[in-house]
Amino acid sequence: MVLENSEGAQSRSKALRPRRFKRNYYGYLFIAPFVIGFLIFGLYPVYNTLYLSFTDTTLLSSESNFIGLKNFERLFADNVFVTAVKNTWLLWILNFIPQIGVAMVLSVWFTSARLKVRGVGVWRAIFFLPNLLMPAAIAALFFSLFSFYGPVNQFMVRAGLLPEAMQFLQNATITRGLVVFIQWWMWFGSTIIILMAGMTSIPLSLYESAMVDGASGMHMFRRITLPLLKPILIYIFVTSLVGGMQMFDIPYLLTDGRGSPSGSIMTNNILMYLKFSSSKGHIGAASSVGVLVFIMTTVCALGIFYFLREKD
Amino acid sequence: MLKNYNLNTKIIRGFIYVFLLVLLVITIMPIWMLIVNATRSTVEIQQGLSLLPSRHMFDNYNILLGRGLNLWRGFFNSLFVAVATTIISVYFSLLTAYGIVVYDFKGKRLFSNFIVVLVMIPMQLSIVGFYQYMSKLGLTDNYASLILPAIASAGGVFFGKQYLESVVIQDLIDAGRVDGASEIGIFHRIMMPLAVPGAVTLGIFAFVASWNNFFNAFILISSIEKYTLPMLVQTLRGDVYRTEYGAIYLGLAITIVPIIVIYALFSRYIVSGIAMGSVKE
Repeated sequence: MVLENSEGAQSRSKALRPRRFKRNYYGYLFIAPFVIGFLIFGLYPVYNTLYLSFTDTTLLSSESNFIGLKNFERLFADNVFVTAVKNTWLLWILNFIPQIGVAMVLSVWFTSARLKVRGVGVWRAIFFLPNLLMPAAIAALFFSLFSFYGPVNQFMVRAGLLPEAMQFLQNATITRGLVVFIQWWMWFGSTIIILMAGMTSIPLSLYESAMVDGASGMHMFRRITLPLLKPILIYIFVTSLVGGMQMFDIPYLLTDGRGSPSGSIMTNNILMYLKFSSSKGHIGAASSVGVLVFIMTTVCALGIFYFLREKD
Repeated sequence: MLKNYNLNTKIIRGFIYVFLLVLLVITIMPIWMLIVNATRSTVEIQQGLSLLPSRHMFDNYNILLGRGLNLWRGFFNSLFVAVATTIISVYFSLLTAYGIVVYDFKGKRLFSNFIVVLVMIPMQLSIVGFYQYMSKLGLTDNYASLILPAIASAGGVFFGKQYLESVVIQDLIDAGRVDGASEIGIFHRIMMPLAVPGAVTLGIFAFVASWNNFFNAFILISSIEKYTLPMLVQTLRGDVYRTEYGAIYLGLAITIVPIIVIYALFSRYIVSGIAMGSVKE
């Protein structure tokens, strides 16, 4: 065997096989900090949350008992949990459809060689801006804009669109609509960037030969663009779903932090936080919310990812 | 026929620009209202709409700070947490990614698939278990609990791997080895300088994510002098400022403007970073 540290052996092996490297175990050393960090700050908390969900632990008492599935039974016994899950799905789906729709249309326009839209980079950069802004501040901003004495009421009344100022944030439909709008507003620019990256990586020659065969724009979109974008669409879908199921800042800070009016924007994470911050600090019950939503989201995300991927 | 085609294209183009302008107004208007109202007095704001700034920013500033809200402490708390998180996250993400890209160790494929899976797992939902565990270690109300998890940021490794695959030059590594450099030395002295653009992109995302992070800080930090900016935003919505609209808008503007400035300086890195995080070339 070649001796690693002898000069001659090294230069000889380099001359013969420059790419051959015997110390690949170094890879383990490089990934070790990540693995240790993940075990401590990632995996153990997941295990601990799962464990807590089977107990009646509170933040106040040092005693905690194993109570089996009681926390889960209680969650399904009252309607709040089911409502929160339904709300979260509704708010996510209603924002995701226009988000992917608008982003898809704009990406097609921006990458079209025929339309030659000017200033694509600038448009894209502006549309992306809201994504970087602090969601907590955005929620507080929209709370101010849509408050009773806020600018939106002033404008609507002046313009004659409303007979008198109204309490937007006491109307369930309007409040939900606002959460959906803010989520859409924050994310459609990001989706444009990702879709465009996917579209520009499709070889032009595919479109050229399709055009020679007389294919229409719509036809090319459906037969070339969409199928080749599939991995990117799955990526957008899954990451958006995972983010959406954990929606917190916007609905929490837009109204009173309890999903008002009448629980219409109570999401999974708001419910989890309410259990956590209740007067006794029922972290066992809060964990059970986390566990159920974790399972639901992970199953959906990985399910979509693998189910749609394998077909290719 | 060709003439028709051109006319059609022109009409479509006109329609597109109108649509883009509408979207532009929708995108910018809330931010613009925020910045304009931050400069207007509460009386002016109550009297009506304006799209032009006024001159009451300093009055608003005095009201904002005059009610016991220590905005600048919050600002520097956020800055400290965000900078520390950024450094840790960038360094360890690149370190891990380098390990995956450069070495052929057993289980490498499994590990990189595992990273992809981790990106898709909603880790925030284990926050309750995380909180209780941190409180046992005495790390609640301590920035360590916000900063240290950045050692294992799956998204960072995923991006770092995509990036390093395009910049790693095997010959340079081999040359370093022949010169007797240690493996970690090669990473520090040869790879890091090459990876600067990727590190900047990664760093901006880590910084923005930490700067905007409300949920984790809200759960883990409890003493007011350690509050970060997003937590102070919640205070701004409270009773003390109920009718001081100008001050509220200014407070919100102060949390947002640094990010807008960063974006204005680095938008190229940010846009290409988003694209790269998703597309496998």
